[in-house]
Amino acid sequence: MFLQILNNWFVGSNKLERLWLLAKIEFKLRYYENKLGLFWALLKPIMDILIYFIVFQVVLKQDIPAFASWLFIGLILWNFFLESTGGTVQILNSKKFLYEYSNMNKLEIYVSTLLSNSIGFFFNLIMFLGFYYFIEPSSIGPHLYNLWIIPLFLNVFILSLGISLILSNIYIVAKDIAQVWQVFTAFLFFLSPIIYRLTTFKESLPSFEFANPIAGIIINARFVMMEGKLPNFELFIFDFAYAFFLLLVGLILLNKLGAKAAEKL
Amino acid sequence: MSLEIKKGECIGLLGRNGCGKSTLVKLLAGVYPTDTGYVNIQGSTMLMNLGVGMSHELTARENVYVSGSVLGLKIKEIDAIFDEIISFAELEGFVDTKIKFFSSGMVARLGFSIAVKAGADIMFLDEIFAVGDAKFQEKAVKVFESSWIQGRTVVLVSHSMDVIRKYCNRAAFMKKGELVFVGETEQAIDLYMKDNK
Repeated sequence: MFLQILNNWFVGSNKLERLWLLAKIEFKLRYYENKLGLFWALLKPIMDILIYFIVFQVVLKQDIPAFASWLFIGLILWNFFLESTGGTVQILNSKKFLYEYSNMNKLEIYVSTLLSNSIGFFFNLIMFLGFYYFIEPSSIGPHLYNLWIIPLFLNVFILSLGISLILSNIYIVAKDIAQVWQVFTAFLFFLSPIIYRLTTFKESLPSFEFANPIAGIIINARFVMMEGKLPNFELFIFDFAYAFFLLLVGLILLNKLGAKAAEKL
Repeated sequence: MSLEIKKGECIGLLGRNGCGKSTLVKLLAGVYPTDTGYVNIQGSTMLMNLGVGMSHELTARENVYVSGSVLGLKIKEIDAIFDEIISFAELEGFVDTKIKFFSSGMVARLGFSIAVKAGADIMFLDEIFAVGDAKFQEKAVKVFESSWIQGRTVVLVSHSMDVIRKYCNRAAFMKKGELVFVGETEQAIDLYMKDNK
């Protein structure tokens, strides 16, 4: 079955072109339709950071060093994860026009949407680097280990793709999955050290970073981007294993349930 | 049911409303999966009825590129036929308008033009002669009479006996989800006419 999927995927020469075309159109639809346009993509993380900064640093006095940068890198990864999972629950419905009249491979629809989200992430990452290198007072500046963000992003991409496949295919048979995932992501958000100290997180929930893949990725991203450290390899391997496992489950569901999407949605 | 359609053949599909023609076409096109049995398709497929796989949120230009790409064309190949598609659809002034602002006839014309210029190996045409105004229908018929149909495999669903008689060398007749007859076009038409009485 998987060989069949992979074979279908790589044979045929205009696939990459098509993925990029669909990703560009998706990106344009998201940002160029509104008055704020692309500016919103840049403004959104700044607004989020401002809110959490006021609450946790000014009001609750958490006193985390370089808190703005700390939030920044955590939130852009989290937002990518959220947009690519919760934001794609209804993807088979909204992109029905692509597969309703032809035998197009549905996996392409997911990859192109995630690519479009990746463009947004890329802009945010550039903003983060600008902020961290030039504005953050306690910055350690550019570091070779910063490059580790590439495999970490790949990890969050595969993880999101897997979860997106699972959610959107369950959606075909159970529409409530959208609400359930909303609650579940709120749970994940507060159980990831995005807005509070890593030590507090580790003391209260020992080893929980191994149970929550997105927490592990954010922890490692801070190591490589802000602390000049190598990622925690145990976590790194764990999180990749999670991502591949969920991707596998997602592909199975796409084959079992997704085939019926044109009929049921 | 068991049915074999050969490469390059134009086959008609007849039957009253709700007898399963469109469902069969979707199964053959690979849009629906089979519950039992199998469908063996060789080549790219395109199913066409009103509005072929187009998003109403996209402009005519974007839809041409997306549909063309889904049909297996490269961007360069679409660039080369883009103007032809637009002029055949008579939509020169609306290239960058979202198709949600189009009339249903304009959408159908665009879909038909994409199908004609970028079409797949196997085309499933579900009542396409009902598309557009009289002038456009005339154009559509001309396409059918030109060399376009040659070398393509076409499955034609229509309630117009003239159309079936003219273009199909074989026809199938369906009743209540069953494939009752496959063979001579005239014989299939007779069965269909009797069923309508």
